[in-house]
Parts: sequence; structure tokens; C-alpha cells
Amino acid sequence: MDYSHTLPNFVKVKRKISPAGVTLKTAAIIGLALLCVLFLFPVVWMVVSSFKTQDQIYTQLSSWRTFLPATWDVSKWFVSYKNLFNAFDYFGRSIINSAIYCTVTIVGVLLLNSFAGYALARLEFPGSKTIGTIVLLLIIVPVETSIVPMYVILKKLGLLEQSVRVVGYLLPGFVSAFYIFMFRQFFVGMPRELEEAARIDGSSRISTYFKIIMPLSKAIFATVAIFTFMGAWNEYVFAQLMFSKQSEMPLQVFLQLVNSFNPKDLSMVMAALTFSTIPIAIVYIFCQRYIIEGVSFSGLK
Amino acid sequence: MEKVKKPKSIYYKFLGKTYIKSDSIVGIAFILPAVVLGAIFVIAPMVISLSYAFTDANLLRLDEVAWAGFGQFKRAFTDPYLWNAFKNTLEFVVKVVPLQLLAALGLALILNTKIKGNTFFRWAFFCPVMLSLAVTSFLWMNLLNPQEGLINAFLGAFGVSPQPFLESPKQAMNVIVFVSAWQGAGYQMLIFLSGLKNIPPELYEAAGVDGAGSATKFFRITLPSILPTFSFVLVTMLIGAFRLMTQPMIMTDGGPVDSTMTMSFYIYRQGIKYRDVAYSSAIALIYTVFMSVIALTLRKVTDVKD
Repeated sequence: MDYSHTLPNFVKVKRKISPAGVTLKTAAIIGLALLCVLFLFPVVWMVVSSFKTQDQIYTQLSSWRTFLPATWDVSKWFVSYKNLFNAFDYFGRSIINSAIYCTVTIVGVLLLNSFAGYALARLEFPGSKTIGTIVLLLIIVPVETSIVPMYVILKKLGLLEQSVRVVGYLLPGFVSAFYIFMFRQFFVGMPRELEEAARIDGSSRISTYFKIIMPLSKAIFATVAIFTFMGAWNEYVFAQLMFSKQSEMPLQVFLQLVNSFNPKDLSMVMAALTFSTIPIAIVYIFCQRYIIEGVSFSGLK
Repeated sequence: MEKVKKPKSIYYKFLGKTYIKSDSIVGIAFILPAVVLGAIFVIAPMVISLSYAFTDANLLRLDEVAWAGFGQFKRAFTDPYLWNAFKNTLEFVVKVVPLQLLAALGLALILNTKIKGNTFFRWAFFCPVMLSLAVTSFLWMNLLNPQEGLINAFLGAFGVSPQPFLESPKQAMNVIVFVSAWQGAGYQMLIFLSGLKNIPPELYEAAGVDGAGSATKFFRITLPSILPTFSFVLVTMLIGAFRLMTQPMIMTDGGPVDSTMTMSFYIYRQGIKYRDVAYSSAIALIYTVFMSVIALTLRKVTDVKD
């Protein structure tokens, strides 16, 4: 009756898995679904609550309706968002601030680190080896670079003065050993022939860089831009130290004002939290490819 | 050919090494901005931190700094609040790293199979990663509000009495552990997934033909293949956990009764709030040495394969 020993091995293996595999898979799906609820419910609640009034949030708190909008009349969903702009004169301003800080940081990071990465990958000059080693060391050694010495430096440079504080906030974010290393690795992996062909045709190093290298490196530029954007948009600790004036605060710091506002309006808080998450969510949804690329890059080393 | 190679003018010697002139000019021009900013905002803070550790520097009078020898270090080793912050950080690390690592790895292993709803699950677990640390902290603060939070309302439906959560010295750190793992696990799951994807399917097929069971496949193929990824994730997660600061800063301000005061937060507070730059630098220096030793040993231990 048992034919298994006459069958080739792979058939036996297939048969063996099926009964146990089915129960295992069902268990896995049920477990996953439960975990899913655990991971999703706070986010769902945050978004849904931003569509309600504070009273609706509290009266529905103990029922499952807390996870559904109070009304399906979409025009009434955004009341607390409107209130947010009315209650806080600088809420809109903080969004603009965040956008400006992010844009400047991305441009600075892309230019500075890609230049440095290219120099380390392709050009030899006195000190290039040393700089390369320092960059690597900075990545490997986990220095507790607390904000304190940075604050001291900014103070000594006079960058804590109210009029130039923004500069003091943005400049330190421009260089990153990790991004220099990322660019370097990418450029090292590019075939040399491409630029050599251009060079033989009489193109200078610099124009080769802008005309040949940069257009061929869109992937790495996009990846670094996305990660920089997320870091800059989400920055909290340094930003709350630097900006005490409402008109200069980025959105993440402004959340503190909304959350501690008296009398507290929970729906307004949730609206502010949701609002500040939207740009990041958009980036994740539309730039998945680059994010996964960046993630696997960081996973490789 | 001769024209390009012969004229010596395009080469020059510096400290016994030959370089190409134009390459050097472009190279230095390209790297200069990064070097200048890096020197000011990366290297100089380290130097300042290192040298201030041996002084009595105060944020308010940075012009009159006097040497204090090892005074700050002696103070550090007898400071009960620092010891408390260290223990809290250690508690956080010991709890969050296994929790988050196993969650991320487990989810990745399950989602790496052809399970139904794979894409949806992937997005669901990744969803909290989209929230910033600040948003995560503010959100959970409200969810965990002892009087009118959703979690206590939920527990109440099962007859559980309201919990104090962040207002209790016993629960606060555990809450921060949970919230941090909740927010971060999806990201490491993605890293593991990309590691698992890189395992060539032929390996499994070959093993299957040789009659290997799924357990054998898992321990002989899957685990060894993702070991480098695992070690990378472990080290970065560990260092990240040792630097915990934003969550307690927002959710508890280090309290209640200093139960969520962490090393990074303590270093920050000493330097900024109490303006004691010297003491802050001394602690940062000790802590850097501590973290480097751990990170480098772990790298060595887990990188045997390379």
C-alpha cells in the first residue's frame, strides 16, 4: 500500500508537507490577523478620531464605533483640521517651516555627500585615503554625539542668535558619513568605461560628473533624498532645542503645543498627528522601490 | 597616446606619492565642503566633548574654563542618578531588543512564504514605521491616558481596573519598551525580508531532492543565509536602543520618579538644562567607550563567517 519508497524523493516531500502545512498555515494566518489588529488599531484610531469631535470620541470610546467615523458625511470630517488652523496662528506656518527645512536639507545633503562620495570613489589626492578611513570609522564607532557639544559649537560660532538660528539648525544636517559612504559604494560599482569614454571625448571631470554620472545615479540620489526627507521631517529633539519661537517651529515640535494646549481638544491633537504623518505616508507609498533598495543596502553592510 | 602620458606637468609628487594634478584639484574641490562642515559639526563636537570632560565647563561661561582633571569622572562613578539612568537604559535594551528582533524576524519568516494577503500584512506591520517618534509618543500618550484613554476603556470592557501606565514607576518603562517595539519592528521586518529574498531558491530545491525536512532547511539554509543581516540588525538595533531619548522626553520627561530617565536623556539634561557641559561630556565619553566595546565585540562575534 505504501508506495512512497518507490516514488522519487521530491514527490514524497510534497505529500508529507500538505496536512501539517495546512493547519500551520491557518494558524499562521489567524496569528497574523491578530497581530495585524495590534499593529493597526492605534493608527486607524488616530485617523478616525481626527474626523470626529472631541465629544464623539469620548462617548464612543468604549464601543467598537470608536474605530468608525461618527458620520459618513465626508464634508463634516475635516472640522477639527479647520479648527487647528483657527486655534493656532502658526500651525500653517509650521507646515511651511517643515517643508522649507526639509527642502534645504535634501539639497544640501545630496550635493555635499555625493560630491564627497565621488571624490572618494574615483579621485586620488593627498589625504583621500585618510578621509575615507575617517568616514568608515565614523560609521562603525557608535559615538555618543549628544546634542550638547553641538550646542556649544553653535554658541561659539554665534549661530544661536535669533536671526541666524535657522542656519544653525540646518547646517549640521548637511554632512553624513553614512550618506558619503553610500554614494561612494554606488560610484565604485559603476563601470569606469562610461566616464572614461566621455573623458576621452574631451569632457572635463566636472562636466562628466554632471552630464554622465549624476543622470546614471538617479537611484542612489532618490534613495538618499527619501531617507533625508524622512529624517528631516521627523526630527524632534534637536528641533525642540533650537526653536522656541512659534513662527520658526517645524511641525513635529508644534505637535507639543497642540497636545499640551489647555483646554485640550483630542480630535484636534489627532488631526495634527495625522496631518504630520501624511507626507511620510505618501513618500512610503510612492517611493517603495527606493526605500526597499535603501533598506537592503543598509542591510548588506 | 604619447601626448597624454609623456608631459610630466600633469603629474606631481607629494610625500613620495604621485598624483594627477587635475584629479587632485577636482577631488579636493569636491570633498572640501563635506570636510569643512564635517570638521565643524562632526569632529569638533567630539573633540569638545573629549576635552571638556576634564574641565569644569559651564554653558553660561564657556570663556572661563578650568581644568578639573578626573573630577568629573569621579563624580560620574558616584552619581546615584547616573547609575539609575544606566540601569533604566539597560532594562530598556534587554527588553526591547529581543522583543523587536523576534517580532521582526518572525513576521519576515512568515511573510516570506506564499501566504494569502501577503502584501496587505506587509503594509499593516509596516504602518507604524510611518509615524515619527514624536507622533508615536503623542499618540500612545493619549491612548494610554489613565482616565480617558482608549486602552483603559478597552480593558474596562473585560473588567480590568484602569491602569496608571505612564504614571506608574513600575509600568512606565515597560510601556516605552512596547511602544518602541511596536513602532520599529516593521522596519527590521523589511530588512529581514530583503535578506530572505536573496537566498537562492535552488538551495531549497536541492535540499528537498536530498530529502531534507523543513526544519533542516530552516536551520541549515535559512538561518545561516541571513546571519549577516541578523548581525547587522542586532548591532544597529542595540545601539539605537542604547540611545533611547525621544520617547521618554515626550511621554514621561524621565519620570515618574526617574523610572524612565535614560543615559542619553541624562547626558542631554545635564548639559542643556543644568548647563553642566563638563559633566555631560564626561558621561558621554564613558558611554561612548561602553557602547563601542559592545558594538565591536558583537560585530566580531557575529561576523565569524566573513
